Amino acid sequence: MEFKDYYQVLGVAKTATAEEIKKAYRKLARKFHPDISKEPDAAQRMQEINEAKAVLSDPEKRLAYDQLAQQYRSGQDFQPPPDWDAGFEFSGRGFEEADLGEFSDFFANLFGQGGRAGQGGRGYRMRGEDRHAKINIDLVDAFQGATREIVLHVPEVDSQGRVVSREHTLSVRIPKGVKEGQHIRLAGQGSPGLGGGPVGDLYLEIHFRPDSQYRVEGRDVYQRVPVTPWEAALGASIETPTPSGPVKLKVPGGSQTGRRLRLKGRGIPGSEPGDLYVELEVVLPPADTDRARELYATMADELAFNPRQGRGG
Amino acid sequence: MAQQHIVSGELVDEVTLTLEDLARACSVDTDWVIERIESGLLADGSPYVASWRFTSHDLTRARRMCQLERDFEAAPELAALAADLIEENQRLRERLRAAGLVDDPAPPER
Repeated sequence: MEFKDYYQVLGVAKTATAEEIKKAYRKLARKFHPDISKEPDAAQRMQEINEAKAVLSDPEKRLAYDQLAQQYRSGQDFQPPPDWDAGFEFSGRGFEEADLGEFSDFFANLFGQGGRAGQGGRGYRMRGEDRHAKINIDLVDAFQGATREIVLHVPEVDSQGRVVSREHTLSVRIPKGVKEGQHIRLAGQGSPGLGGGPVGDLYLEIHFRPDSQYRVEGRDVYQRVPVTPWEAALGASIETPTPSGPVKLKVPGGSQTGRRLRLKGRGIPGSEPGDLYVELEVVLPPADTDRARELYATMADELAFNPRQGRGG
Repeated sequence: MAQQHIVSGELVDEVTLTLEDLARACSVDTDWVIERIESGLLADGSPYVASWRFTSHDLTRARRMCQLERDFEAAPELAALAADLIEENQRLRERLRAAGLVDDPAPPER
């Protein structure tokens, strides 16, 4: 385990005031907020920032940390000395396991429930916290259902009474009909309860991997299908892949790019299944041979067609 | 290799969350949720607290607002406004992506 320099994480001096710490935290929280940040490691940075703020904005924890930090440099191998926090009383809100799941082993070791911070947790029965995780699936999984393995970091109290993080792999059934942003609740897969209290739940938030072929709105799926000019102009019966398998599609004559055809009930399945909207995209064949150029020239001669007619200017 | 047990859950929306479920999932008191519903910042089901039920969207929004309030010590109204803008931004980004006009070639893992 590496020693973490929380002052470095927030970019503040060791002498920073509470107000300076708050300011630095807000500035970084704005930059790395996972909902808006474009930084690839935003979630990881946000975790470090939250952790640093949790320690440095609490006078008691900061004092204990400062004393410990005198002997360590950032990144140095670190094991908390026994009774490192002797003489300190951490009051106020204790850090519960759900928080610890989002914090590093370093933090969990120092301020977890196995440490003195958890004093408030003793002696009564409490339900475990609910936990949250995100999971990415392909759109086709929502049509067929799937099984996905997820790895969770579960904080546990070891035989020495310290909190350690344990990896827990879970195989989860993704039910058919799941939508973007929807949650699956796994009862009893959250944090363990205290004093024999019941285990919390785990919520999995579902996201679809971006797919250049499809766009999803609720249960409706939008798909662009390329067609030839003659299929669009004359009408045709074409076969196209869809998330639920290939379908035969009747393209009405006189279609243009952007024409939308609805395939009722072919969206994401459910008690009220969504629809699949096929958006036609007319693609021109390249004029890359003499014969092709000749055909285009014939059309130019014989079809009185000016798409800009009536636009003025 | 040992056969791994496959766990199945329930889809939120097919089952909706109670007030207590939502509060617990956000690690807040039920009063936190009630205040935000009564101020119109979070969706509600009906005028009767006992029959309130919440969806996946409500859960995502409530957690986001809770995080914004905590991270920035933001007033609930401001957190709700930021949540509105984030939701709108996500909708527009999705449309851009669908139109082949992705503004961010490497979007972060959500």
